[in-house]
Amino acid sequence: MLDNAHSLRAFLPELIVAGTVLAVLFVDLLARRPHVGRAAALTAVGLVAAGAATVMTMRADGYGLFFGLIARDPLADFFKLLFLATNLLVVLISLRAREATDESAAEFFALTLTTTAGMMLMASATDLLTAFLSLETVSIMSYVLAGFRRRSRESAEAALKYVIYGGVASGVMLYGMSLLYGLAGSTSFTAVRLACAHTPAAATVLLAVVLCLAGFGYKIASVPFHMWCPDVYQGAPTPVTAFLSVGPKAAGFALLVRFFGGSLPAELVGAPAPWPILLGLIAAATMTVGNLAALAQTNLKRLLAYSSIAHAGYVLLALCAGGSDGTRAILLYLVTYLFMNLGAFLVIIAVADAGIGEEIAEWRGLGRRAPWAAVAMAIFLFSLTGLPPLAGFFGKFYVFAALLARGGSLMVTLAVIGILNSAVSLYFYARVLKAMYFEAPTVDEPLPLARLHAATLALLAVPTVALFLVWSPLQRFVDSSLGQWYPAEMRPRSAQLDRSVKRSSVQLANTSATK
Amino acid sequence: MAVSYSPILVAILFAVGFGLVFLALAMFMGPKHETAEKLAPFECGSEPIGSPRVRFSVKFYQVAILFLVFDIETAFLYPWAVLYRKLSCTGAMYGLVCSGNVTFFGLTEMVVFLAILVVGLAYVWRKKAIGWG
Repeated sequence: MLDNAHSLRAFLPELIVAGTVLAVLFVDLLARRPHVGRAAALTAVGLVAAGAATVMTMRADGYGLFFGLIARDPLADFFKLLFLATNLLVVLISLRAREATDESAAEFFALTLTTTAGMMLMASATDLLTAFLSLETVSIMSYVLAGFRRRSRESAEAALKYVIYGGVASGVMLYGMSLLYGLAGSTSFTAVRLACAHTPAAATVLLAVVLCLAGFGYKIASVPFHMWCPDVYQGAPTPVTAFLSVGPKAAGFALLVRFFGGSLPAELVGAPAPWPILLGLIAAATMTVGNLAALAQTNLKRLLAYSSIAHAGYVLLALCAGGSDGTRAILLYLVTYLFMNLGAFLVIIAVADAGIGEEIAEWRGLGRRAPWAAVAMAIFLFSLTGLPPLAGFFGKFYVFAALLARGGSLMVTLAVIGILNSAVSLYFYARVLKAMYFEAPTVDEPLPLARLHAATLALLAVPTVALFLVWSPLQRFVDSSLGQWYPAEMRPRSAQLDRSVKRSSVQLANTSATK
Repeated sequence: MAVSYSPILVAILFAVGFGLVFLALAMFMGPKHETAEKLAPFECGSEPIGSPRVRFSVKFYQVAILFLVFDIETAFLYPWAVLYRKLSCTGAMYGLVCSGNVTFFGLTEMVVFLAILVVGLAYVWRKKAIGWG
């Protein structure tokens, strides 16, 4: 555990991101004419520098920073790189968008950068205080981003709904945290974990955790805290929607992994506090509600909003499976989700840029008018469904494998519900494809895509396909990110060996004692 | 455990009860001679000329948010000022005397913090958010 001055070195990635926020704003202020390209370039440089700093200061073990308020470990580094990549892609996505005009670009990028800094802290929080503060940083920036188009009524409505739901969820979570603090007498996750393991008040622990789940569930848009999601995703500017549907959601899962893995003892699983049942119920409800509601949608952003709710459900299944298998599935899923979901939103942006709206009906015959965009959309949607040969298949495969590996009737039931849900999701994803390929367009002229959009689409579509073919590097990277968290489980053979060595030494001691 | 908190409960009940009893006494036993003069608003201005539930200009909120910048600044400056000697000292403190080396750590920290605030202030200024225009 390092003190404040000595933590700064390991805190370099966050410092770079925070510095970039100031630099982007300040350069915009000093410049005679604000310019979108300059702000974007500065943002990209900052993000790449932060990524490089993360990789360069990476260590295989974990240690606490700032007297244990946050941790620097491979798991946090994994998420940091994920968030930096997300933000970098969002910069590319939003370059031609209406939101990034010359006047407002600097503010827009500064807001996304601040969100990224908050998400990076969320992924490394090891204390209730930092968990709450980082979550609020992300939330408040998200509200502003959702309402970024100030003149638009929908955007303002989205922001207002987001604020109100978010405020309630934060308040409820804070109350849960105060209960945990009351039990532990400390805000650190380790102390909370210890207190929860030894307290006789199991009901209080359960209540506190359920209340905390309100805050986390709100961030990942799980049932019953998903209501804001469709309205906000539809009303917010599309690049913001893309960012919100990937970044803060992944950050919410990072915090959930830390909270359940780092602060809730495994001994409590099962007997007094049924985390798997609780999480399993939420996961099943989230998947089912998301997929069934998506069936009825006619607006693409709304459809993707419900689909993203459903995907939060799949990832929650992995959290429910727990252990190294479950956590590995979460990380793998989030990486594949990053590419396919950002990709799907980018197709909407690219097509909207060429003059076609967000209603599915308007997408009729897109396969003929903009063949490349339609092919890319097909790749992303099939990947979201989880069909091979696309990255989304592996994402889902690992989730279900983790459930089955854990075993038990609950896990098997959840896996069956998950697979049924995937089948349902195929229907509404296929509806978009049907409109694109099997319905006649109203106008037949070809739709030219902007060169930037075409290039970014390729940048996202290629990994979605390639990850299926070249999967093992990603898996190795994820495994190395988990190594420090699950040292015993990652090396089952050596653990067994240790046990047998111990047993034989005990026998040896016994025999020598009888002699 | 629960027993040790019982005096607090008693105190709370007493406080609430005391207030309620005297309110009730005043309500039932107090003399009431209501005249037009007595019911008129007094001591805080003039007769109301409309509903108080009107929409306020958003500028008020803008000023309130700007005020927060300086509010937070002060909230952080006070504890920093109190701890300044300790922050600047590498060794143990004997009263106000530092036994180790004196560094600029505390000063640097505050300069960084203020620099961030100044960027915020410059931003607000440049965006013409100061003023009532």
